[in-house]
Amino acid sequence: MTVVSTPPPRLPLRRRSFGPGVSPMLRRLAEERATGVLLRERGSLHLTDGQVTYAECPESPGLDALLTTGGVLDAGAWREAVARAGADGQVGRFLVDSGRVAEGVLELCHVAALFDAAYFVLGPSSAPARFRYGAAHWLGPVRSVPVAALERETLRRRELLHRIWPDPATDTAPLVRIDRAAEPPVPARQEAVLDQVDGVRTAADISLALGRPAFHTLVELRRLATAGIVTTASQPPTTPKSLKPPKSPQQSRGPRASRPPEPQRSPRADPAPEQQPPALDPASALLIQASADPDVALLRRLRDALEAL
Amino acid sequence: MPGIDECLLEAMRLPGALGAAVVDWTSGLALGTVGDAPGGDHETTAAEAAELARLAAEHRAFAPEAGPDQAGQDPPVEDLIISNVDTYHVLRFVATSFDSSVFLHLWLARSDGNLALARIRLGEMAGRLVLG
Repeated sequence: MTVVSTPPPRLPLRRRSFGPGVSPMLRRLAEERATGVLLRERGSLHLTDGQVTYAECPESPGLDALLTTGGVLDAGAWREAVARAGADGQVGRFLVDSGRVAEGVLELCHVAALFDAAYFVLGPSSAPARFRYGAAHWLGPVRSVPVAALERETLRRRELLHRIWPDPATDTAPLVRIDRAAEPPVPARQEAVLDQVDGVRTAADISLALGRPAFHTLVELRRLATAGIVTTASQPPTTPKSLKPPKSPQQSRGPRASRPPEPQRSPRADPAPEQQPPALDPASALLIQASADPDVALLRRLRDALEAL
Repeated sequence: MPGIDECLLEAMRLPGALGAAVVDWTSGLALGTVGDAPGGDHETTAAEAAELARLAAEHRAFAPEAGPDQAGQDPPVEDLIISNVDTYHVLRFVATSFDSSVFLHLWLARSDGNLALARIRLGEMAGRLVLG
């Protein structure tokens, strides 16, 4: 009797989860209490003594965006803090001691941004991760998170999204409102997201515009998808390849990650190449119109839900 | 100017306090915890409390008569109180100028807890946490 050890090939289903493990490398680094930065395909995690102290990724607004969009701090004050205290790795301390940001606010925003970016950084990856031993992150100590807690939370978040609505399409694609006239009233935080849906913006764009953690936007968008209010502007299977814009090489943010960033980063940060949304052209616009028919939209949602199961 | 931990430790000084947490109600994440949690699991408690907080914050039935827009308050609900035979739970929403969905969760023993006092103090802590 032979034992088949190779797994069967993956069925051509839409990807919905990323396998059981999160990152064995990250666990090893935690065990050896490493300090430095873990560079993964979608972003980076900064470690100090094996604990995660900072995470960044182009898909989620950084701590600076959360603080400045909400009006806690203006962009100039953030730049000044990074310039004055970045080299000493004490930006967080400086913001609090100079009275610019309340300690509680800094901690709430920092932890929110950390778990938010880590959700994407620890997402599916087709490239090997690298670790650079070195200095702690320039923000300095605010709150650090054990690797095990971060992994548990990341897995829990995947499950949470899947439970709300199993199709991940709204996470990355440009979005449209299905039928404005027929929309039921939605809670205020969903309405803020809905107001940003314009056929072009993606979840990442909306998060940046609102200064809201990207995972929060994903949650609201999946709820809106469940309710049949929002869908993707163009369905990937019906989009001919020629409609996709030329892929731009992803800028490497990694090697400089331990140093203070440039004052302003592009609000439309680079998504992973395979997730680049198709540009909206006349052909896609027709597709949007087609999906605005409530019956077609309903059938499409039903099909998507069945595929994603 | 308290941080998350100072705020939670202050909550634990209330009579009858068993445990406390700062929780995000969109994701269900516990941003900070102290003391005990029902069943010994802060993470599960946070996720479950977050579900309840979200429903309270989103359903119009619980908004003030003037309507959430007129009152200018986000979320429209101040706090939630749950009692069972031996404990109280007080969930206090934290109003912030930045975009957030955070509440304080205090778990109190019913035998020596003072619900009215806990409710008032928790409201003060929620304000100090974000105002400094």
